[in-house]
Amino acid sequence: MLEFYEPQADYGTPESTSTELVTLSIDGVEVTVPAGTSVMRAAAESGVKVPRLCATDQLKSFGSCRVCLVEIEGRRGFPASCTTNVEAGMEVRTQSDEIAKLRRNVMELYISDHPLDCLTCPTNGDCELQDTAGELGLRSVRYGFEGENHLQAEKDESNPYFTFDASKCIVCSRCVRACEEVQGTFALTIDGRGFESKVSASQAEDFMDSECVSCGACVNACPTATLTEKSIIEAGKPEHAVTTTCAYCGVGCSFKAEMKGNQVVRMTPYKDGKANEGHACVKGRFAFGYATHKDRITVPMIRDSIDDPWKEVSWEEAVSYTAKRFKAIQAEYGRTSIGAISSSRCTNEEVYLVQKMVRAGFGNNNVDTCARVCHSPTGFGLKTTLGESAGTQTFASVADADVVVVMGANPTEAHPVFGSRLKRRLREGAKLIVIDPRKIELVSAPHIKADHHLPVRPGTNVVVLNALAHVIVSEGLEDRAYIEQRCDMPEFEQWLAFIKDERHSPENTEQFSGVPAADLRAAARLYATAGNGAIFYGLGVTEHSQGSTAVMGIANLAMLTGNIGRDGVGVNPLRGQNNVQGSCDMGSFPHELPGYRHISDGATRALFEGEWGVSLDSEPGLRIPNMFDAAIEGEFKGLYCQGEDIAQSDPNTQHVEAALRAIDCLVVQDIFLNETAKFAHVFLPGASFLEKDGTFTNAERRISRVRKAMPPLSGKADWEGTMALANALGCEMNYSHPSEIMDEIARLTPTFNGVSYAKLEQQGSIQWPCNDNTPEGTPIMHIDEFVRGKGFFAMTEYVPTEERANRKFPLLLTTGRILSQYNVGAQTRRTDNSSWHGEDLIEIHPHDAEERGINQGDWVGINSRVGDTVLRANITERVKPGVVYTTFHHPVSGANVITTDNSDWATNCPEYKVTAVQLSKVTAPSNWQSRQQSFDKQQQGLLQKAQLQEARN
Amino acid sequence: MSASKLDRLVKMMNQIALNMSANGTDKMVADQVAQHLEKFWSPPMKNLITEQAAGADIGLTPIAQLAVKNLLVMQEAKRA
Repeated sequence: MLEFYEPQADYGTPESTSTELVTLSIDGVEVTVPAGTSVMRAAAESGVKVPRLCATDQLKSFGSCRVCLVEIEGRRGFPASCTTNVEAGMEVRTQSDEIAKLRRNVMELYISDHPLDCLTCPTNGDCELQDTAGELGLRSVRYGFEGENHLQAEKDESNPYFTFDASKCIVCSRCVRACEEVQGTFALTIDGRGFESKVSASQAEDFMDSECVSCGACVNACPTATLTEKSIIEAGKPEHAVTTTCAYCGVGCSFKAEMKGNQVVRMTPYKDGKANEGHACVKGRFAFGYATHKDRITVPMIRDSIDDPWKEVSWEEAVSYTAKRFKAIQAEYGRTSIGAISSSRCTNEEVYLVQKMVRAGFGNNNVDTCARVCHSPTGFGLKTTLGESAGTQTFASVADADVVVVMGANPTEAHPVFGSRLKRRLREGAKLIVIDPRKIELVSAPHIKADHHLPVRPGTNVVVLNALAHVIVSEGLEDRAYIEQRCDMPEFEQWLAFIKDERHSPENTEQFSGVPAADLRAAARLYATAGNGAIFYGLGVTEHSQGSTAVMGIANLAMLTGNIGRDGVGVNPLRGQNNVQGSCDMGSFPHELPGYRHISDGATRALFEGEWGVSLDSEPGLRIPNMFDAAIEGEFKGLYCQGEDIAQSDPNTQHVEAALRAIDCLVVQDIFLNETAKFAHVFLPGASFLEKDGTFTNAERRISRVRKAMPPLSGKADWEGTMALANALGCEMNYSHPSEIMDEIARLTPTFNGVSYAKLEQQGSIQWPCNDNTPEGTPIMHIDEFVRGKGFFAMTEYVPTEERANRKFPLLLTTGRILSQYNVGAQTRRTDNSSWHGEDLIEIHPHDAEERGINQGDWVGINSRVGDTVLRANITERVKPGVVYTTFHHPVSGANVITTDNSDWATNCPEYKVTAVQLSKVTAPSNWQSRQQSFDKQQQGLLQKAQLQEARN
Repeated sequence: MSASKLDRLVKMMNQIALNMSANGTDKMVADQVAQHLEKFWSPPMKNLITEQAAGADIGLTPIAQLAVKNLLVMQEAKRA
């Protein structure tokens, strides 16, 4: 259904969550609202709009504009309706001749210092100031425009995405308050007093040079054209909108894709989206230009060898070529010689189809997903201890937390919208424990200071988790009643004996972890005694050789202190990509079918066999690293890789490249010629999230709709490409819409039984499990009992990684992300986000830099046991001595040339977070970088030949 | 089959055994290791480790060796 563009409804002030109801009268009509509701909001909820300028329901009421004045029976004067709360029996009048006169007078003053260029203004027709002037019937300005004014104020166009036109500013402070209350960055302020008052970024700097993180909250809040998206200035007001879900991180923000025809002109965070509630970050809000970037490949291509030019072909030819080669490979090398890798960037329906094609079409279980290299230990660890491979909470639940542990995660950079939510709770007084080798922003941010920062040495998370548990049990701080009621006691007693051992005491573990014993003891006491304790963790926990042990250690801590099963507590994995949770849910791992049911389970297999009409292999297939090994051995010859760039994202790049070169038929389905596609024989053009229907499942288990905003540039959405290939292989699929795929998932998966597109339309989103027992979904898990019945205290023996620092490699490298870029950067590097991060840098402590004669900005050679690369130095005390850090957003950086193929013992998740390295000052790129650049040039040339040939034809 | 592939499997198996070492007696741990392999390893990986470990020292720890024996029993039971 076409949804014409209109601004999202704004009730003026935030909703009250009080359960007490108050009845009053507004303009003679009886209205009942929760106590604590403003008169303005009560009026809006009863259909009466009170004019306003400084009020918006995303921000606390402020009461500065004096436009929302009302009359209240028995009260003197004209109270501001935004700052006056309802009272029982109150009689409010929103309209009278006197009110109208007062409002007009105020408005007249505003307009006397505002340009009257409405017809050429970028927000013409979409401006609250303009609307309000209209509503108030302003017809003239008695004061003229000759006096002192701000009409010639300079425009700041430094930010790539929005402009700041001070001449249009009414100093309502909405932008300043949005930066504080919504985003929590405090980058904006009102500088000066009286007539001199003006919005200022940091210390009167350009937006680009200020502390602004370009989340867009200020732009959203601005009631005039002062802060306006450049895309709107260029294209004008949108004419329709499509509600969809962001395709960046695992927060899963809901957006209105605001359109002019098939062109996205703005992404506006959707206020009814429960994951983000109207907030966004610089990626989701602004970095959508990649979707129509000139590098998009929209025509299928094939070639026999990676040294041949590509040949553009029809979908039919590409699919039939692939099917023929896959069949030939299986005939020669056997049924298990081919497989597939699906992506956490694709929809649930798409990854479901990929695993279906592998199991039912390829006839094996050689399917894996990029969750292998990020959160597979979460799946293993939480399934083992709690019984379900998923986080336990909603994001909103953090508002009830009294103490928050952030471990191996950097929410303000990698999950910024959740980071803002967390910062809000911390400003309200919740305590914070950060366990991270680096001083992440949360350790010390405006109005936030971590109560404890435990700067763990990379690779020793399990040591710290065991020590925290040791302190809790040795000081009698555990919640014994909860444990006895909720957990398996024999296993608990066994674990208790293990953890009480003195070797786990902080005084003994300090030598390994580098965390001072006193700090660790204090942190343990705080977590155990502060009330509701919530743990949020990320890849700094999972991407270790003990990643699964660490996840189980986190679950143990939560059970030990009774911190699972209600609001404000829980174990919360912050998922890296938009659909990590969903891709795991959909049976993308080689050992399990959708819903985390093992492939060896005959009853589950029979269910799928009945639906799909085939017999399924009961043995697990190959994981991604096993695929690489088998390829190098000559046993694995065909790979279908959808939406994942393994050549850049997987560790030990040279090993990965050797594997890819050994594959006879590599099929890549992607929107760009990514690093992996340069080794491919078939390129199937992918569709961006704007070009298809489907669903994503975020880190809260929240299933949200992805809606098609524009037709797929290649003619096919990804699910249609997979379906075409499956049919060519004889695996029949006849879906006409992704909703039919979801219906099949729901039929076959108990935790999804109640999910349908119709219910998603009705509810907006659904947190699984959703079935007859929980028809509206499950926001909080494990409320009365754990999914596995009794909680299981898993033993968490610490086994050090084999990757050790020594004299030759004395520093430990750890990796992470930066706010403006996303993973391998294929999307964000093709946007103006590169203005903030044009290259990956190596962070090094001043002491380590001085020892090596390295200065800020120097080229630095980084050598590990498996490879070397060169990056520029960023000297900072954010890392401690002995630890260096880099991001991995640019292919030429070769961050994974130096990471090893050590992996988690249980899941083979790579150990990206610990690599022993040496640094030295250099003057030239590494050999690998030179080869990479040359290979890239060759492959770009082969692509251009295909495109030129097509142009001639 | 290259040495490196077997080396990787041996390393993985020893790593699993070591990480499970606190779970109980050697016999219990070996049983859990075998179950882990049965659950997560593909048949070619399981076959390679059982074949190569038969009568030869491929570098497995004692518990991992015991686990291979358990795995063989599990595989034979499945075949039966």
